[in-house]
Amino acid sequence: MKPRVSHKGILLLLVSGLAAALALAAVSGRVSLSLADILTLTRKLVAGGGDGLAELLPNEQVFLWIRLPRCFMAVLAGAGLAVSGAVYQALFRNPLVSPDILGVSAGCTFGAALGLMLPLSGFGTVHLLSFGCGILAVGLTAGLARIIAVKPLIVLVLAGMVVLSFFNALLMVVKYFADPYNQLPGIIFWVMGSLTRVTWTNTLFMAPFALAGLGVFILLGFRLNILSLGDIQARSLGLNPTLFRRVLIVISSFLVAISVSTCGQIAWIGLIIPHMARTLTGPAHEKMLPVTALLGALFLLLADTAARSLFSSEIPVGIITALTGAPIFAFLLFKNRGTGWI
Amino acid sequence: MDIALECRNLCFGYGSKAVLSDLSFEVGKGRFYAILGRNGSGKTTLLHCLNRILVPDSGTILVQGRDIRTLSRNGIAKCIGLVPQEHMDIFPFSVLDVVVMGRTPFLGMTERPGERDRDMAMDALSALNAEYLAHRNFNRISGGERRIALLARALTQATGVMLLDEPTNHLDFNNQYRLLATIKSLCRKKDISIVASMHDPNMAALFADAVIMIRDGKVMAKGPARKVMIRENINALYNTDVTPVSLNGNATLFFPDTVVREVP
Repeated sequence: MKPRVSHKGILLLLVSGLAAALALAAVSGRVSLSLADILTLTRKLVAGGGDGLAELLPNEQVFLWIRLPRCFMAVLAGAGLAVSGAVYQALFRNPLVSPDILGVSAGCTFGAALGLMLPLSGFGTVHLLSFGCGILAVGLTAGLARIIAVKPLIVLVLAGMVVLSFFNALLMVVKYFADPYNQLPGIIFWVMGSLTRVTWTNTLFMAPFALAGLGVFILLGFRLNILSLGDIQARSLGLNPTLFRRVLIVISSFLVAISVSTCGQIAWIGLIIPHMARTLTGPAHEKMLPVTALLGALFLLLADTAARSLFSSEIPVGIITALTGAPIFAFLLFKNRGTGWI
Repeated sequence: MDIALECRNLCFGYGSKAVLSDLSFEVGKGRFYAILGRNGSGKTTLLHCLNRILVPDSGTILVQGRDIRTLSRNGIAKCIGLVPQEHMDIFPFSVLDVVVMGRTPFLGMTERPGERDRDMAMDALSALNAEYLAHRNFNRISGGERRIALLARALTQATGVMLLDEPTNHLDFNNQYRLLATIKSLCRKKDISIVASMHDPNMAALFADAVIMIRDGKVMAKGPARKVMIRENINALYNTDVTPVSLNGNATLFFPDTVVREVP
């Protein structure tokens, strides 16, 4: 049971890995830019202040206005999705759930697509609708599972499937009515998951919420262990599980919504990253959540870098995460068979 | 006798179905109380009412003289520990992780257990001669060891009253006796009041100081084990006919008549 590498060692390793990945992401892409160029740019900006912005070379502009916010968003969204997956798994006492499986992502996607299509809806409406539908979806899933009330582990997954299909159907309705020239291509590309729409505006809008959500979860890590024991034991240990669960579900659905409404549906991160983190540090959430956040950030950053630099034209990052995530999950299922994992 | 836990006129029902009606009893400090009753007679419900996991419809529960309604959930958890019936974790926590969870009511909202809390958890494990379990996976140890680990958690949590829900369930022959002997010695050494629901009257006869018999949601009989554990009561409680068998004149065990008659 004692890990070979200490917890601090793992964190240090992941932080340096993330720094290296950020450096890699900064220099990859169709517009070439070396690390030395970035240093020159930084010096220029620091020395010139606001004036420095006016005299940028084209490749420096690409880096500053497109690549950099995109890298930060990948870090935020990756960490947010992974941690919300881990929190759902603890709250529902089920290692098989994730924002995708509970229908939260589908709900958020529908809400955001609706927001994009409605006339006169701005930035805030898209986020708000996405969040509202995400909460509605997880509420429906949990409610349905509660009414059925047998074999909780499997029924929750099945209830999620019902809700997910329903919201996917609603999404199809939105697609059907969308303007095929102006709106449809955008919606489709975005449903597949992509960070192409990311700008400093939405990154800076999302950052405080995402960081606050992550902070709350990491602070409440130990309480999540208690909640994962189930209601009776949580109560006997002095915790009010109903209140906690509601608050935590709202926060994690919010994390998913802000990620989905800017980056679309990026599947699998919320399911596999928590499992990988648990393998590294054990199940205690106070240790496992920071590792989950870093792993999620690293995974999405690398996937996005691959998505925009592997081929001559960019492919949706959701394809990369699904192509790598599905086999990894299949491997985890195989490796953990018979350990009481499912 | 000091009273650790008192239950006055407790009534509880699920919806319109009454489960417990007008239950009253007192649990003395450092005493081992067994609750006997048939399957579905409301033993678990009663235990859950005693530490307000379930909220009774009416009646009063006093812990160390204080009305439980005036205590916060945390406050109750500091006085009363619970060892649940069967427990399999979803996540593979180590035994030490599980035991240290007993410190939860003493920690702040965002606090996590520190060195001191882990030391207390280790002390609880060593009081039960189970330090060797500390770094094992809770899901991979035997049922008896799991029960010991949960007992250690309750010991880390509260040393006033401990509620045990069928502590010997799913344990093998030898383990049942060993566990109950351990619990009894805890009760004596640390002055802990134990309330345990049990389904084997002979176990209660061997280990309990006092017995509370519950039938149809009411107290059928209560009092010192020697006085309550008599043929008539056992017959009425389980709706059967039993033959008492004396064990060296110390305790009396009971076996169904049919068995006693038919065994050659």
